[in-house]
Amino acid sequence: MLTLTATLAEPEHFSLVEKLLLVVLVAASAAGFWRRFGVVLHKILKSKKDPSFHLFPIGKRVWDFVCEVLFQTKVIRQRPLPGLAHAFVFWGFCAFALVTLNHFAVGLGLGFLNPAGFFGRFYTYFAAVFAIACAAGIFGLFVRRFLVRPKWLGKKLSWESGFIAFLIFLLMVTYLASFFVGDADQATRILWWVHSLAILIFLVIIPHTKHLHLILSPATVFLSRGGFSQIPPLVGDEDFGLIAGTDLTRLASLQAYSCVECGRCTEHCPAANTGKLLNPKEIILGLRSYLNDLGPASEEPLLGKYNAQEAAFQCTTCGACEFQCPVGIEHLPIIVGLRRGAVNTGAWEDEYGSKLFLALERGANAHGLPASERDKFIEKAGLPIFDGTQEYCLWLGCMGGYDPKGREIIADFARVMNYLGTSFGVLRKEKCCGDPVRRLGNDLVFQQLAESNLEVFEQNKAKKIVSICPHCVRTIQEDWKEFGTPPQVEHHSEFLARHADKLPKQANGESIVFHDPCYLGRYRNVYEQPRTVVGLAGELVEAPRNHERSFCCGAGGGLVFLGEESGERVSKVRAAELVATGAKTVGTACPFCNSMFRDALAEKGEGAPQLLDIAQLTARGLPARGGS
Amino acid sequence: MKIIVAIKQVPERDAQVRIDAAGKWIEESGLQYALNESDAYALEEALQLKEKHGGEVVVLTAGPERVGPTIREALAKGADRAIHIDCADLGSRDALGVAKLLAAAVKPENPDLILTGLQSDDLGQGQTGVIVAELLGLPHSSLILHVEKTDTGLTVKRELEEGWFQTIELPLPAVLTIQSGGNKLRYATLMGIKRAKTKEVRTVTATELAVDSAPVAILERVVLPQKQKSTQILPGNPKEAAAALVEKLKFEARVL
Repeated sequence: MLTLTATLAEPEHFSLVEKLLLVVLVAASAAGFWRRFGVVLHKILKSKKDPSFHLFPIGKRVWDFVCEVLFQTKVIRQRPLPGLAHAFVFWGFCAFALVTLNHFAVGLGLGFLNPAGFFGRFYTYFAAVFAIACAAGIFGLFVRRFLVRPKWLGKKLSWESGFIAFLIFLLMVTYLASFFVGDADQATRILWWVHSLAILIFLVIIPHTKHLHLILSPATVFLSRGGFSQIPPLVGDEDFGLIAGTDLTRLASLQAYSCVECGRCTEHCPAANTGKLLNPKEIILGLRSYLNDLGPASEEPLLGKYNAQEAAFQCTTCGACEFQCPVGIEHLPIIVGLRRGAVNTGAWEDEYGSKLFLALERGANAHGLPASERDKFIEKAGLPIFDGTQEYCLWLGCMGGYDPKGREIIADFARVMNYLGTSFGVLRKEKCCGDPVRRLGNDLVFQQLAESNLEVFEQNKAKKIVSICPHCVRTIQEDWKEFGTPPQVEHHSEFLARHADKLPKQANGESIVFHDPCYLGRYRNVYEQPRTVVGLAGELVEAPRNHERSFCCGAGGGLVFLGEESGERVSKVRAAELVATGAKTVGTACPFCNSMFRDALAEKGEGAPQLLDIAQLTARGLPARGGS
Repeated sequence: MKIIVAIKQVPERDAQVRIDAAGKWIEESGLQYALNESDAYALEEALQLKEKHGGEVVVLTAGPERVGPTIREALAKGADRAIHIDCADLGSRDALGVAKLLAAAVKPENPDLILTGLQSDDLGQGQTGVIVAELLGLPHSSLILHVEKTDTGLTVKRELEEGWFQTIELPLPAVLTIQSGGNKLRYATLMGIKRAKTKEVRTVTATELAVDSAPVAILERVVLPQKQKSTQILPGNPKEAAAALVEKLKFEARVL
């Protein structure tokens, strides 16, 4: 009969047969675990080393580990309810480490935690609280997976997940039940054995299923490449990116095996959400299948049976997948790596892609326009030429130099700089920063552009650069590092926000919905500065998906230069979301977003909100030319 | 099939061209150079023929040391080897003089086919390829958009005026000058550039080829085109004005 004894019951005595049985079962379970885990570990370690990987500085790694693993911040923040349920299960496991160790020690007569003692009582109670939370958590996750069934988890029901949930639930229940029995009860012995068997079965299942993330993902988070979308430099004369298994690095393989198949990447992917072939989760699982079937020594192409080239080239590199991933998978180096493998060897054949590459091989801008077009604009807009005496070098970029709307943004931003009395100049000659070729994986052209631009900055000694384009900012700041020391560069939102107190606040401003550009937000972690600027011009309205959850405009990753996209247009989906907020104006901070929405909003015809860059929003508040 | 592609390095399309002090040529210092556009199409045609029928593609160019990167670009795109006729005074040679150099370098190679661009983007005379054919005593055809190899020789598609095309057959060996736009150009790849490092580039000097370099045509003076802007207001109601505009676009501007 069950009575509350208020102390965790443990079987009093184990026979020799029981002890032997326990040892055999533990050994069998460990062997079952290692049989698979050893293989996985071998495949990871046999992968190519990551030559650019450095463990130091270690501070950020420790910090990320504490936040993302121990405190589960990302898991909870991005999906609060299931995230919290998961955190309870995770914390339950952590709390149970000591309990479990003691549990098996008891079976061998070596128990070290006395449930009636001061610490033992405290700790078993402490663990019991976690056991309740964990049981509730796993029950919630079970309901979500099998009854709510969000589409991100895939169409097929994962029975192994159900079984794992049952095992975890069983573990918690058997533990909690042991508070209601006495040491001498037969029930105690049964509970003890059921609990043990559940653990031993669980151990075998871990490496055979996605629950491998229990073991691998803490390492994956800790061993990140050290920055968002860090594309590793190619090393030696035979490295062209990810072509075959031999090109997969240890980090890539570790990440492929860490995937927990939660589908957060897919949930936020602009390609997957608009009916395209690309599904970031499947890219990672494709690599895992490749490693399982062929291993890291295979010369078989990575793009083919396991992943489609078409999918790799549908990525806008918006980075939502990498940002969302709770187990530390870095999708962008992998997707860009696959593109590098295809482009650097000429395997990728695309009419528009070739046109872009040829334009940048021969000319200086991604539009394939003569450089004289830029000169004409500079002359017409009366922009001063940078001569080393001015404080800022205003980087025009391909959009600012050649695109009609981009030029308007530049002209307005120049007006604001003049109003603030900031001296600036533009470069007489400027080449594309290389963003589209970098993201499309053309290392040859990217290197040419980066080196040639770095040389210009080396000569003119520009200290501060400001740009209206988040793609230029990111590429100059981070990606050029591979070939030299880039100058300090900032986005005009950062410049404008810093001078916000000197800029006029516009009275009776209309409602303005701000669209976070991927390369400003997720890539650069700049969210509030453009909002400060928008706040000066009108009333800030948030889109349903904002800040780090912002939905791409569809332009990134070089896609703006490629042909018509399959499925629904990404820009259309995002524009509809922005329009639905009812705001009078759509505020952008990236000339590419602006260009995408220009077309998408044009489809809406009359009554569509106006579309203005933050520089334009600021400039319209300035006193008319010639005024004070 | 052994194909020789004669290519030329010309100032980049975006280059700010200045006339040199003597007024007889452009100021070369500070200029960026690139592969002549129609030569890029000639190379592409050669590479596609090689991909279909096998053989070898050899690029041939005359010019000073600065042509190196252009040769490497051609090798990177898939040419097998290169011959560089080192000559610093290309600007002072006329089309005949350059053709003599090229023909002398081609002869010992005994190629099945010689391709070159229709004309150079700098001088634009359209002579060199045709003269090479005459010097070698080979059949030739110009303005070629498409080349098909047949059992007996070649079938080529020539561009005529007013949107007309001509299909003709030629025996091999032959010389063709290729028009831009017939094919889609391939982009240069990192792998191509790395592989190009190990490919053979044979340098011969103009003196070694021992050709008579005395020009028969002399470039007297080089001038930049004068910019002119003239605006015409077409009178009449919109219908008449539009009709007049179409007329002018068709027959004066010749853009329609």
